[in-house]
Amino acid sequence: MMADRRRINGPPGGTRPAVFASNSQSGTGATTRAQRQRQPSELRKIFLKTGLIPTASGSSYLEFEPSASLAAARANPKSLIPPSSALKLACTVHGPKPLPRSAAFSPNLVLTTHVKYAPFAARRRKGHIRDSSERDLGVHLETALRGAIIAERWPKSGLDITITILEAEDDRWWGDAPDSHDASWGMMNVLAGCITAASAAIADAHIDCLDLVAGGVAALVSDESAGSSAAPKLMLDTDPAEHRSILSACVVGYMPARDEITELWLKGDSSKASLEDGDKRTGHEALIDGAVDAARGAHTVLAEAVRESLLSAVGQL
Amino acid sequence: MAAPEAKVAPSIPPSLSLPPSQFARLQPHAYLLAHLSPPPASNQPSIRANGRAPSQFRVTSANAGSLTHTNGSAVVRIGDTAAVCGVRAELLHTEDIASWSVSQASGSHKRRRLADLGKKSAEEDEEDEEDDEEDRAHIEDLNLLVPNLSLSTGCAPGFIPGAPPSALAQSLSHQILSLLHSTRLVRADDLRIWYQPPNLGPEEPERHNEDEQMDMDAEHSPTSESKPREIKAFWVLYIDVMIISLAGNPFDAAWAAVLAALRDTKLPKAWWDVDNETILCSDNISDARKLCLRGLPVASSFGVFEADAAAGWRPNVIPDAEEQKAQDQKRKKGSQQSWILADPDGYEEGLSQERACIVVDKEQGGKGKTVIMKMEKHGGWTVDTEELRQLVDISARRWDEMKRMLDQC
Repeated sequence: MMADRRRINGPPGGTRPAVFASNSQSGTGATTRAQRQRQPSELRKIFLKTGLIPTASGSSYLEFEPSASLAAARANPKSLIPPSSALKLACTVHGPKPLPRSAAFSPNLVLTTHVKYAPFAARRRKGHIRDSSERDLGVHLETALRGAIIAERWPKSGLDITITILEAEDDRWWGDAPDSHDASWGMMNVLAGCITAASAAIADAHIDCLDLVAGGVAALVSDESAGSSAAPKLMLDTDPAEHRSILSACVVGYMPARDEITELWLKGDSSKASLEDGDKRTGHEALIDGAVDAARGAHTVLAEAVRESLLSAVGQL
Repeated sequence: MAAPEAKVAPSIPPSLSLPPSQFARLQPHAYLLAHLSPPPASNQPSIRANGRAPSQFRVTSANAGSLTHTNGSAVVRIGDTAAVCGVRAELLHTEDIASWSVSQASGSHKRRRLADLGKKSAEEDEEDEEDDEEDRAHIEDLNLLVPNLSLSTGCAPGFIPGAPPSALAQSLSHQILSLLHSTRLVRADDLRIWYQPPNLGPEEPERHNEDEQMDMDAEHSPTSESKPREIKAFWVLYIDVMIISLAGNPFDAAWAAVLAALRDTKLPKAWWDVDNETILCSDNISDARKLCLRGLPVASSFGVFEADAAAGWRPNVIPDAEEQKAQDQKRKKGSQQSWILADPDGYEEGLSQERACIVVDKEQGGKGKTVIMKMEKHGGWTVDTEELRQLVDISARRWDEMKRMLDQC
């Protein structure tokens, strides 16, 4: 592989991430899995603020509340291994701006989305060049937003949305070995956060939309050990680090005013859901409804943040 | 929405003068000049368009240790410029270093000194010349510090996200690297992981084929039966800076973020595990130790704003340069022609050709004398020795400010 000559590269032989010794005897409590302290339908608090980056037309910063275990580990640090992580991301919107002369004519607004993890965002160091999962996130985000933006209002214009993820969500608890139920579950939470933050930034840039799109996640989780045959339960806004295995997860981009889903991404096997008695929904219907409920929750935060930014803008005038 | 606006509009007569914000965009140079040299009759002080005095820095804040997956992290905001820095430590095993055994064998005296150094390093705090050379060799030759700065975060229009780093980003990364090297901020000894081989009796089963080493061992420790310690691995610090918001003076913000993050960095205790033949770390936070940095170099950048930017270049064209110079001097005395602006924001950066950057440190935590670690000036000849001296004084005051702020975060 050619070394990247535009960046400062580390030792040519490469480096290895630190391996922690079996920590059962260290007594730091890092080996106990984080437990979900919230109710199944309780969402994490979201911190969302717009207009922090004055050089951009619109911007927002979003942060999820740290889980109970992470908050405890922060308040009283014992182990160097964080039990879970909380999403932190910054979103900027540049535009609408004229398309370059070389670009083909477009009667609509050309939306470009770009999602990049900071190298220190995840447990594994990320590269400087976007990998396929980051590109995938960008495409999902674009679909979610395209349904909300009134693209005909801005012919021959471009809109660049850039998201920098400073801290991502884990895909599973760090101590678990990869197994068959494994998938990049953390990416779905990241996408939900990206959708919510991007809507806030677009509103901050004063770009017409049908409604604010909010992202929400729901998942079917089974917390029991593999031996017992407990049926998986539906939970909203799951932190993958808090569950033994996630069977299926769904993320939606949702506009409450029109009751419209702009983006739907469902992964895993949703057939084994155990719902309450009398509930006739199939697994995936329940999952989508759950994700929509989570998105409604995020929407209240989103609307409040946008209202705040408008009030401060009015105050400045 | 439209109806009330239409009602209000006729009552306000269309004004012929431009609002200040539009004037600032159309005539940036004249706008800033008018602020800095107000007419003498108006009795207004000379002030920058952003309301700061020429030597005043923007409000700075720092916050350390907020990112979960880093060994050390910091967010620094200087006005509207924000930089996030995360330090990640990874291991470089000496067996992965291609030239390690060669360079170790070639100079056996060097190796012994290294072993000595490792022994006494625990108790000694004063650095001497010899470790400095060793530090430099290890940190620079093995690339143990890897700073990278990213501007493709949407921090300002014009930086295309996803594109390779721009010239500015490359130059800033390199400046951070060279400053890390030249200030010798990080001690190589903090990054070394030592191993003390156990004494396995006279036959020394692992070593029998390395005559040279055996000789050395014998000479080195004639009485004590312990073998010399050896370096098994190094910590490599990946220092990644994301400029989240760019509104001028990215270097000061990035360097402050790097400094704050390194001050926050904790490295786990690591040891060579003989059975697994690898390095293991302890996750216990009480075993981890902080980096012991050398000093606190603080960067201050300046931009020079000239009333007539081309004035200085004309003498080169006119043959009678001496005469022109004399005239220049005269004019300089009459009215101020240039201003040195501390911590220029994005607007001022666009208007200044000449830049200066001074990195200073103070000995003994602020009580000793001021030391210049780096001085850089380019793009013009307004700043002369006298003015550089003043800039160093300003930088020294800035150092006190930054030290107070970094101690709090």
